[in-house]
Amino acid sequence: MRSQDRLIRFEQQISPHLRSAYNLARWLTGSHEDAEDVVQDAFLRAFSAFENLRDHDGKAWLLAIVRNTSITWMKRNRTAYSLAGFEQQMDDRSEPSPDPEEMLLISVDRDEVKKALEQLPTEFREAIVLREIEGLSYREISAAINVPLGTVMSRLSRGREWLRRILSNTPEGTRHRRGRPE
Amino acid sequence: MNCQDLRMYLSAYLDDELDIAESLRLEKHIAECRACRQTQEAQFALRSALRNPDLYFEPSPGFASRIASIVNSEAKKIARQESPWYDRFLLPSFRWASAVAAMAIIVTAGTLVILNNVRSSHEQLVASAALTGHIRSLQPGHLVDVPSSDRHTVKPWFQGKLDFAPPVPDLSELGWVLIGGRLDYIDGHTAAAVIYQRRMHNINVFLWPHHGPSDDHIQPEDAQGYQILHWNGSDMTYWVVSDLNREELMDFARALRGH
Repeated sequence: MRSQDRLIRFEQQISPHLRSAYNLARWLTGSHEDAEDVVQDAFLRAFSAFENLRDHDGKAWLLAIVRNTSITWMKRNRTAYSLAGFEQQMDDRSEPSPDPEEMLLISVDRDEVKKALEQLPTEFREAIVLREIEGLSYREISAAINVPLGTVMSRLSRGREWLRRILSNTPEGTRHRRGRPE
Repeated sequence: MNCQDLRMYLSAYLDDELDIAESLRLEKHIAECRACRQTQEAQFALRSALRNPDLYFEPSPGFASRIASIVNSEAKKIARQESPWYDRFLLPSFRWASAVAAMAIIVTAGTLVILNNVRSSHEQLVASAALTGHIRSLQPGHLVDVPSSDRHTVKPWFQGKLDFAPPVPDLSELGWVLIGGRLDYIDGHTAAAVIYQRRMHNINVFLWPHHGPSDDHIQPEDAQGYQILHWNGSDMTYWVVSDLNREELMDFARALRGH
């Protein structure tokens, strides 16, 4: 009976967030199959830890589990690339021209935006996905990724600034880079 | 506030997470600084690009029911671990004589009770799986895979997806409107879900082949404001779930059973 009650409560409080769980896992792992594996694993973990969820927000709680499962998965399957390397790469990129007319030219093409977001280091990508695509508040993001509010704020700020920089350089900027002889 | 600060605070400002004093300082700077105004506009454009629904990844269609069935079998596993039936009888204060006498009774009468409990607790799990299947189907976009009020559309849709042909009777003359069909996964079976409606109340009929003896006595049960009806037809087992009141749902079940 206890287990049955737990199942019903779980289906009501946690299962409705399956789409969000998958979306986050997909953005973090970068692959459909891996995302489904991660979510499956995360749901089993969530179910066995469900007793510990008291009055907390079920969605942020589930996303925290999905996120930790994804990160464990990424560490096991891939060498996480260094944040320092990315920062260097961003510094190498020319800062968008201060000319106001050119600064407006940021690409909003779906594929370009997707590619740009995939380039961001995990900490920044997850903050932006949770905020812009999932629509979480700073407080919910802070609960889901277990960092203070100030950190959420600064990751979003830097993440967006980088995205803007990447997208102001496309498509001409990248094409130019790619075309350059080695 | 200078341009450097603005870059730091702009993002929180766009998210409405900046306090009023900072917001006012930021607005004042933006009003005076053309470059920062352009940065703000670029961030606006970026935001609407990120909110493109195309960037929201969707799992594959059967994924939700796959996860539900995995969680469900996990629940069964835990249920088995949680309920050692003999616990109740291991009272330390039992005296030997009465213990022996009691054991004799328990062993004979108890066997029947236990067998009976195993069966009903299994049915309880199926009932709760049917209920959660119903609740899940009420999530936006989950109710039907084939939306149609025409049984000649719904019935063939199941062909090739199931190894049995679920009956999809037309009950519209009795006031039960067919809404469509869906595949679901209940108690280790791929189940056909046929959805009917009355006055905006959705009714999920879950069915799959049944090989045991038929028992078409309809067993009603209510759980959390929902009615769950169950019977075993001659070749299919039926679970009907709805938030409709019991009398009307029983009428529905009788109409369905009569076909």
